Amino acid sequence: MLHCLNSNASGSEMTVLERQRATIKWQHNNNHHQGYSSSSSPSPSSSSSISLVQVQSSSPACLAAGAWPKLDNNFLMGFTSSPSSGFPLPPPPPPTTSAASFDLNSAISRTSSCPLPSLAEGKETTTPNNKRKTDKFHNTKVVASDNDNKDKRVKVAAPNDSATVGKKGTQDCGDNSNKDNSKVSEVQNQKPDYIHVRARRGQATDSHSLAERVRREKISERMKFLQDLVPGCNKITGKAGMLDEIINYVQSLQRQVEFLSMKLAAVNPRLDFNMDDLFTREVFPACAASFPAIEMSPNMANPASYLHFNSSQQIDAGINPQDISLRRTISAPVSAPETFLDSSCFTQTLPSSTWEGDFQNLYSVAFDQARAASFPSQLFTGLLEPSNLKMEMEM
Amino acid sequence: MASTSVVSNPAPTSTDRSRDSKRKKKKKLQKEYLQSHFKWKSQAQQQIYSSKLHQALARVNLASTSVPRRGKAVREAADRVLAATAKGKTRWSRAILANRRLKLKFSKQHKRQRVAQPALTRSKKPRVSVLRLKGKKNLPAVQRKLRFLARLVPGCRKEPVPVILEEAIDYIPALEMQVRAMAALLNLLSGSGAAASDSSSGAGTSSAPPS
Repeated sequence: MLHCLNSNASGSEMTVLERQRATIKWQHNNNHHQGYSSSSSPSPSSSSSISLVQVQSSSPACLAAGAWPKLDNNFLMGFTSSPSSGFPLPPPPPPTTSAASFDLNSAISRTSSCPLPSLAEGKETTTPNNKRKTDKFHNTKVVASDNDNKDKRVKVAAPNDSATVGKKGTQDCGDNSNKDNSKVSEVQNQKPDYIHVRARRGQATDSHSLAERVRREKISERMKFLQDLVPGCNKITGKAGMLDEIINYVQSLQRQVEFLSMKLAAVNPRLDFNMDDLFTREVFPACAASFPAIEMSPNMANPASYLHFNSSQQIDAGINPQDISLRRTISAPVSAPETFLDSSCFTQTLPSSTWEGDFQNLYSVAFDQARAASFPSQLFTGLLEPSNLKMEMEM
Repeated sequence: MASTSVVSNPAPTSTDRSRDSKRKKKKKLQKEYLQSHFKWKSQAQQQIYSSKLHQALARVNLASTSVPRRGKAVREAADRVLAATAKGKTRWSRAILANRRLKLKFSKQHKRQRVAQPALTRSKKPRVSVLRLKGKKNLPAVQRKLRFLARLVPGCRKEPVPVILEEAIDYIPALEMQVRAMAALLNLLSGSGAAASDSSSGAGTSSAPPS
């Protein structure tokens, strides 16, 4: 029954209209609407995504042919227009709940909306539909053995298209057979090379398949998030491609870090230089350049505010630019024995008196960090809030 | 297309319930990931990292290491500071911090110490090399790539697949922040250094500390 639409794209377009007409009529006949799960299960072996639409299109045909004789004409009209190699009518479907009709309608309407010629788009547009639809029919009572076979078959051979077809096929069957289910743990796996597993109530493999599906849902969710994180991953569908991109990205980031660290190492010797001028000249403008946001601006406008290290909020912003410049001076003597000599150097190299109080505080913290053995305690008269700094920096 | 939209209107009502509950569950998990993402993207985080990095760089003993090893030392310091900034909530951060301690010990002591430590940090699952299990047969490409990714992210070698992805979700924004911070720091240092080098050479003698 799949082959009817196989060869003729134009013909199926007409059948789309026919199908839509049929769906409108179905809405009036919900109760009689039976799902064709086993009969309409398509063979997933076809590797083209035309089969996607075929699956959906065949189901209304089956339904109409079986349930309503009055619809037969429409469908037969629609399908005879396409050169079909014989349209075998399926056996009457087993009784199922009525809500499946809505599902099927939605399924059909959505699939009919995707134009056949643009197969790729069709696949894309239907995949979000797939996700929505699969919510409902996880526990279909209609269990067809060929469904299992189909699932397993698709599992073995995993080209993207066939897996997607497999997805749609099982989903279609589920649509036909099932009601709106509140059980939401199963979500169709977006990754085409993995087949989604439907949980079937009352089955021995239920727990396994459910667990499997939950596991896959977790993985697919994380993959989607990674897709947003990694630039350029949006165009790629498929785990393998996305993982390639992710790996490339991580490698490039790590290489960048390596490169930057080499450069930093090259620049580092300059820290030994006397950074006296840096304080006056470079600290504020340079800090403005690198940390333009946040509390920097008010602090920079008023250098006196730096003196107040009581407020820990300022510490974060205020310390940072100072750290960068101050640490430079610290690093030079720190490499040398950390003794009184260092502190004396610092106090003498301080350019302005306004800085001195702060610097002493900073130096105290810095030297605590560096674990200087001997330190003149009289330098640290005003240790305002070193604990905050220490905690933050010790982290 | 208009006709299809008309037809599909009644459909969403039946699917809404299941969809919403599914979406809520997903939203919760997505929120967690988003939080980690935004945490690394924030400017505050970058500043914290930069300050700590600068401290660490200052502490790197430049005189002892030769030039090629200095870069590595800087790299390790940067990674360490990054892991510290992560506050040890993720496996990769703990692994970096643990490894560094291991390496320090290892250089002085035996391998026994090194083997003992990882047992604490790793999962309890049987540690069999997946590649060896299957011999020369090619693993599914996805699995192979996942293992490769696990090697890239520190501390995730023997972890199961969802853990690897989760670690990667946190590791990538952390790396991005590290790159940003180091670049900014470099800019700052090189920019100021270049400007100061001209002036400091002249003024350096005058401001030399009297001993």
